[in-house]
Amino acid sequence: MEQKFNTSLVTNFGPAKMLPDLKFAEMEPGWDCGGGTYKVTKEEVDKFAKLMGGANKGEITIPIGMIYIFGLRICWDRKVFLDGAIRAGDKISFFKPAKIGDTITTRLSIADKKEVKKEKDGKVRINRFLYVDMNATNQSGEKIVEIQMSFLLPATMQ
Amino acid sequence: MSKIDFASVQVGDTLPSKSLAVTQQLINEYADICGDYNSIHVDVEGMKSNTMFGGSTIAHGTINVEPVLQALCDIEGLLWPAEGSKIDLQFRAPVKPGFTLVSNLVVKEKKTEGGKNILVCDMKIQNKDGGDLAMGSTVIVCS
Repeated sequence: MEQKFNTSLVTNFGPAKMLPDLKFAEMEPGWDCGGGTYKVTKEEVDKFAKLMGGANKGEITIPIGMIYIFGLRICWDRKVFLDGAIRAGDKISFFKPAKIGDTITTRLSIADKKEVKKEKDGKVRINRFLYVDMNATNQSGEKIVEIQMSFLLPATMQ
Repeated sequence: MSKIDFASVQVGDTLPSKSLAVTQQLINEYADICGDYNSIHVDVEGMKSNTMFGGSTIAHGTINVEPVLQALCDIEGLLWPAEGSKIDLQFRAPVKPGFTLVSNLVVKEKKTEGGKNILVCDMKIQNKDGGDLAMGSTVIVCS
């Protein structure tokens, strides 16, 4: 399947070494995956509100779903979505609302990893899970949202 | 101001839900906004020969969550979930064009903590025509 992503949508930062450069044993909690910044524009908010079935009626608070969109852009940019990995779930905690005109900074880091042994038909399989924190703050440093994404890593990963 | 009356809510109650009809057009326009044009989402012809998802494209995982995000805001009467609100979900199945996503929130605990009225709910995102697409729990803060 072809991986196509428009990486011109955010400004990213972080170490040159990214997740695909690591083996599972090297994926330690606290490891910095980098991050990105973006400014929330009214044009984007209007486009998103219309797509999701409503017009933005002059509100300055942005739809919460847009934070996911910005997070997606940064995750692709910082290569957090590993080839063959399956998104298993999300834990989301909400803080201050984000508003049009805010400059949001999102930071990504490894939260945890886990190996789960599964036995079927006498064969033991090890499922490897990776947990990545995606924490977003506004220009004043206030938390707006914290999301912990969990991934089932491909069986071929060492 | 919350759209529900906290005092009258009882454990076992089903809270108001939100739905979203997923079409290929919605997926394409979502890709335009988020920049994720992976073939798994947008290549309708190419995915026909791919057996992994039954010959179909699938929606971005973040589209799946949208009905619960909208329901949370709607119940709390806010445009952004109140501080202290939480969602914990596990994805169960991919979402394809033609699905209608429906949020399902059932109250399992009701409490007041630190002056906040809180509802803890079992949460599901289901296809209108059947099937659980995501499951988990939510914490809703009522004002």
